[in-house]
Amino acid sequence: MTAALIGSTATTVRVESDVNGVQEGFSVVGLPDAAVREARIRVQSAVAAAGLRLPHGRKVVNLSPADVKKEGSAYDLPIALSSLVLARALPERPVVAMGELGLDGSVRPVASAVAAGVVARAMGHPCLVPGPLAAGVADLTGATTHPVDSLAEAVAVVRGKGPEPAQATTGVRPAPDPDLSVVRGQPLGRRALEVAAAGGHHLLLSGPPGAGKTLLASCLPGLLPDLDREERLETALVRAAAGLGPGPSTRPFRSPHHTISEAALLGGGSGSPSPGEVSLATNGVLFLDELGEFPARLLDGLRQPLEAGAVHVARRSWRATFPARFQLVAATNPCPCGHLGDRLRACRCSAPQLDRYARRLSGPLLDRIDLRVHLPAVDADAFVASPGESSAEVAGRVRAARAAQSARGLANTDLGRDELDALDFDDEASGLAHDALKRGLVGGRGYDRVRRVARTVADLDDEAVVSGAHVAEALTLRGGR
Amino acid sequence: MSSRESRVRLAYLGMHPSRRRDLEERLGASGLVEAVLDGRIEVPDTARVAVEVAAGRRLAELADGTRLVLDGDSDYPASLAELPDRPDALFVRGALPEAAAVAVVGSRGVTRYGQRWTALLAEAVASAGIPIVSGLAKGVDGIAHRSALVVGTPTVAVLGCGIDRWYPAGHARLGEEILAAGGAIVSEYAPGTPPAKYRFPLRNRIVSGLADAVIVTEAAVRSGALITARTAVEQGREVLALPGDLDRATSEGTNRLIADGAVPVTSVDDALEAVGRILGMSVEPAPAHPLADLLGNGVTLDDLPALVGKEAPETLALVGRWELEGLAAVTAGVVVPR
Repeated sequence: MTAALIGSTATTVRVESDVNGVQEGFSVVGLPDAAVREARIRVQSAVAAAGLRLPHGRKVVNLSPADVKKEGSAYDLPIALSSLVLARALPERPVVAMGELGLDGSVRPVASAVAAGVVARAMGHPCLVPGPLAAGVADLTGATTHPVDSLAEAVAVVRGKGPEPAQATTGVRPAPDPDLSVVRGQPLGRRALEVAAAGGHHLLLSGPPGAGKTLLASCLPGLLPDLDREERLETALVRAAAGLGPGPSTRPFRSPHHTISEAALLGGGSGSPSPGEVSLATNGVLFLDELGEFPARLLDGLRQPLEAGAVHVARRSWRATFPARFQLVAATNPCPCGHLGDRLRACRCSAPQLDRYARRLSGPLLDRIDLRVHLPAVDADAFVASPGESSAEVAGRVRAARAAQSARGLANTDLGRDELDALDFDDEASGLAHDALKRGLVGGRGYDRVRRVARTVADLDDEAVVSGAHVAEALTLRGGR
Repeated sequence: MSSRESRVRLAYLGMHPSRRRDLEERLGASGLVEAVLDGRIEVPDTARVAVEVAAGRRLAELADGTRLVLDGDSDYPASLAELPDRPDALFVRGALPEAAAVAVVGSRGVTRYGQRWTALLAEAVASAGIPIVSGLAKGVDGIAHRSALVVGTPTVAVLGCGIDRWYPAGHARLGEEILAAGGAIVSEYAPGTPPAKYRFPLRNRIVSGLADAVIVTEAAVRSGALITARTAVEQGREVLALPGDLDRATSEGTNRLIADGAVPVTSVDDALEAVGRILGMSVEPAPAHPLADLLGNGVTLDDLPALVGKEAPETLALVGRWELEGLAAVTAGVVVPR
């Protein structure tokens, strides 16, 4: 048996084989693509290299369910094993295998190996994957995973004499890269990042070129709590569906360029369903630099994932769902010339130009961004300032704040109006929030954003009740109506 | 034909004021009307037809609230009366201010810098009860009028088109608000006259003429506001100009005015003092803003924690309270007193 990915969901694929004619032949059926059809050639050589023989006659290997497209070279190993069962070289014993075969009988890594682990775990069968991937698969899925580096080793495993299952290794958490301590000065940017991390709020950074927007954004994954096993598995499955290897165990940080295609950003493609950057950023951070340069069509396309946490893509022959729960960090110049609010250089944009620029970025996408801060250009003093707090110190406070939210049941970024109305604000806090609304400092949506952020600021203070100071700070972090 | 009958008819002629003045000196008002009517002076057909209409009918067809004021009438603005290039007739809606006034003018394509200082200066001057004169154009003009409205001081808009239309159309509401607040709309052009490029420079001599001092807050080298400054100097008015960065093309005009002798605006209080000196009245500077010393002309949110000696969270909360109390505003990450 083996596995296939539909979207980023692993499904079982049964590999069965038969000899149904006397004339020599070898065919693979069950919607194979060209790479799968070529498997028979690699299999024949690899079997010979392992010192084994295939049965005579017309051999047929069926990959079932026969109406799910099979792609890539990962089916080499299960096809080989199934054929050897046919040759009575192997006992008929259910295993889940994935791997590409070399002509010399070696088993080579494939991106989707983790899917085999998921299926094996669900069915309670042992799992055979290429050696270097075994520990990772065992760790992510909890399946009994045997590392196999050659077809001969795989045969030995099925016979019950092969390499022992890999031990799940819990990797040491790598140090965050970059570490927040490299951000010197910039108290506003650091604070906004901490609040964003603590509440899961989407963040808009505006500022002139060189204000450190990209550096700050790339520090965000290092402030977030470690991925739990479920999240790591989900991330690995999305990567597998995209044809990428398992990747690091840290939270993803994806920063697509603004010239990216719709399919590459949101998922899709003309062949088989492939996850987009929004899905690859699941459980991590999607960083959109130069937000204003992204075509409006793409920004509109972000609304579904932002609201549903998933992307549904459908084409004529398939439909698939990928997770897309990411934290959005967007960066933009403050104005067309880039120097609005700059200490060193005057902005030369006219007021109508500024209004037009602001309108381009407004709308439903911006409504979902709770935190908007303007970063001034970094001046020379900041480079000689002493290093700020490290990622680890901030991450500690973030962890505590997130724990408080889990206890309430909902991350602050997901609080809707009803939940916000039910929050505990002390008299001063609700007074200030109302004042802001009355004085026109915020509109209706801005009012909700301020309350969400105030809840996070209170969580960072380890306060059960939101106070006036929390609302006042949230008001400054809202950055506009 | 009586002289008054002729002068009312000539208000609809639409001839360039300096040509008209020359002809009128030679022929007299009645002579000029007759010369136009019998074709001795060449004018477009439309102009001749316009002058054919009797004064009585003209005055009757003026919209309610609009009146025609002739030079020498008791309600002709005193500040215009002694100027050589004054308009002979003015269409007026609302009440013209009797006391001294200050013109605030500048570019249509105003930057945030110009917006902010136009508002600060116009508000300060208007707060002292001094009416603001401007041209109802986009940009600086509009901000100047609005600033006067905010503090409840009358303001005067001089149009470059007929008094029966708003140009730019987007400022129609502003115009109505000016009237509602006891200000005035003024034009030397007959109702129905469309806006045209060459009329605005002419209009500017009335803007400066109605004022005792002219403040130019933002102007590039080819800005119409510089024409207002020039006519102001010709009329013996004092000019104040807001300096700007040398690499700011939008301030090149005002910087040049300063080089040519305009009074540089170095602070709101300075400007008020200069205006008081020019107008010969004592102008009380507005009480100091409680955050003026701390914030000056603006401090970035990044620099503020060090200045107030607090951590970032407390500083941000402090700014939030200032905003709620209307003491400060944050634009593009800069906290400015307001």
